[in-house]
Amino acid sequence: MVTTQARVAQERNGHGVVARADGLTKRYPPAVTALAGVSFAVRPGEFVAVLGPSGAGKTTLFRCLTGLTRPDSGTISIAGLDIWRSPRELGLARREIALIFQQFNLIRRLSALENVLVGRLAHVPAWRVISRSFTRADRQLALGCLDTVGLLDRARTRADELSGGQQQRVAIARALAQHAQVILADEPVASLDPESSATVLESLRSAVSAGVAVVANLHQVHLARAYADRIVALRDGRIVEDTPASRLDTRTIEQIYERNGERGAL
Amino acid sequence: MAAVLRPAVDYPDPGSSWWSGRRLRFVLVLILLAGFYSASWHLAKVDPGRLLTGLPKMAGWAAKAWPPATDELPVLLLRTAETIAMAAIGTTAAALLALPLCIVAARNATPSMALYYPARWLLNALRGVDSFVFALLFVAAVGLGPFAGVLGIALHTWGSTAKLWAEAIENIPPGPLEAAAATGASRVKVIAYALLPDVAPSMVSVGLFWWEFNVRASTVLGVVGAGGIGQELKNSMDLLLFPRLLTIILLILITVTVIDHTSEWLRRKLE
Repeated sequence: MVTTQARVAQERNGHGVVARADGLTKRYPPAVTALAGVSFAVRPGEFVAVLGPSGAGKTTLFRCLTGLTRPDSGTISIAGLDIWRSPRELGLARREIALIFQQFNLIRRLSALENVLVGRLAHVPAWRVISRSFTRADRQLALGCLDTVGLLDRARTRADELSGGQQQRVAIARALAQHAQVILADEPVASLDPESSATVLESLRSAVSAGVAVVANLHQVHLARAYADRIVALRDGRIVEDTPASRLDTRTIEQIYERNGERGAL
Repeated sequence: MAAVLRPAVDYPDPGSSWWSGRRLRFVLVLILLAGFYSASWHLAKVDPGRLLTGLPKMAGWAAKAWPPATDELPVLLLRTAETIAMAAIGTTAAALLALPLCIVAARNATPSMALYYPARWLLNALRGVDSFVFALLFVAAVGLGPFAGVLGIALHTWGSTAKLWAEAIENIPPGPLEAAAATGASRVKVIAYALLPDVAPSMVSVGLFWWEFNVRASTVLGVVGAGGIGQELKNSMDLLLFPRLLTIILLILITVTVIDHTSEWLRRKLE
């Protein structure tokens, strides 16, 4: 267990922070301000849930963190790389970021194991990719990742024969195989039933136990409270709440979702 | 209850006028179609009278053609094999050439839009010229025989296959490709690992379709001197050897049927 003092010291030195956003702003002219000065830092082994009503800027924040959208101002550093400094740094940073999509995005006709091996593509010479002959070490690693998400027995099953929840867990195994330091998950359980949602979020928790930082957009507050360590709430492009999940109370939740005196859906 | 259904106000009814724009357009289209078909009828010199006098002639040939000649069967079988070989080599060469072209000619896989447009022009040009026409040119260039047919088939099929393959590539969902690219993998790796397995079955299916199509097409390539069973067909017709002609037509029918069924069976197995 790292003491709080040690952690603060680490943070001050810039160590122990795996992803950092500083003063991010993004405007979509003429009238939309998607982000208005967003700053936060994520430590290894931390599960951060991003909450907020539709239009709060969650998607824009994700697109900025993954290098898909360039912020108007502010900096983003992933694993110590300033992703907007040069295309080279962005390329290197991408290896340290693993993405989880709402629609899983597995290659339909390949097996679960072959899909997990996608996480190794950047680390393997091209001829091995083209001839699909991965090293024993890579295959063992991929099998280990499938074991972590509880799908070792499905290694040979084709991706399109798995259920939605299983597909998302394969996607998490793919992210683990990438050996990325950060997993960014944009609405990872939005298209899943409650039971599958639970197993998927448990798999994300196992990634967190392995030391990976997870940042996930979530719609359901109760899931964020149950699985995340920390909750960052966005509203109108600003962080309105940044708190340990255990300290999130009902009144705060209402404040996050309240709009023009009306209550948003929880 | 009926009172509820009868509205109290008189709504303006867009369908009430007989000469509404839609009806006018329909009549206009009918007039245009009638003009097009009457012009085509004249240009094509359609003359049912000549068909009526010609039909008994054909019936006479048919009577004379029975029984089919079997004395030259070994030669004709060799020519049939030539035809199938022409189609197989031509289609395979086309497929090998189409593989790089289809990637360049697919919007979502092309390495650069500067290459995409020239690739599209090339495949449209190749597709626009029939293998028959290509074969005609190649007979002049490389001489009579099946090789000219192979070249003709290869060029036309190259363009046609590349176009259908490029369309198959453009239709695959972008998500898995994005996911693979997001790991930091290079474009070549993404295409080889994430894109090709997804389109491979439809690509093989398209390839088989063209092989089957080309067996049918190459039965007539002999008419322009490009070898195979078509050449024998033309010779027999020129010399009015009807029993031999019948044998050839039967051979073509059997071959095409067998190839069609094999190809269909293989394509069904792929799904």
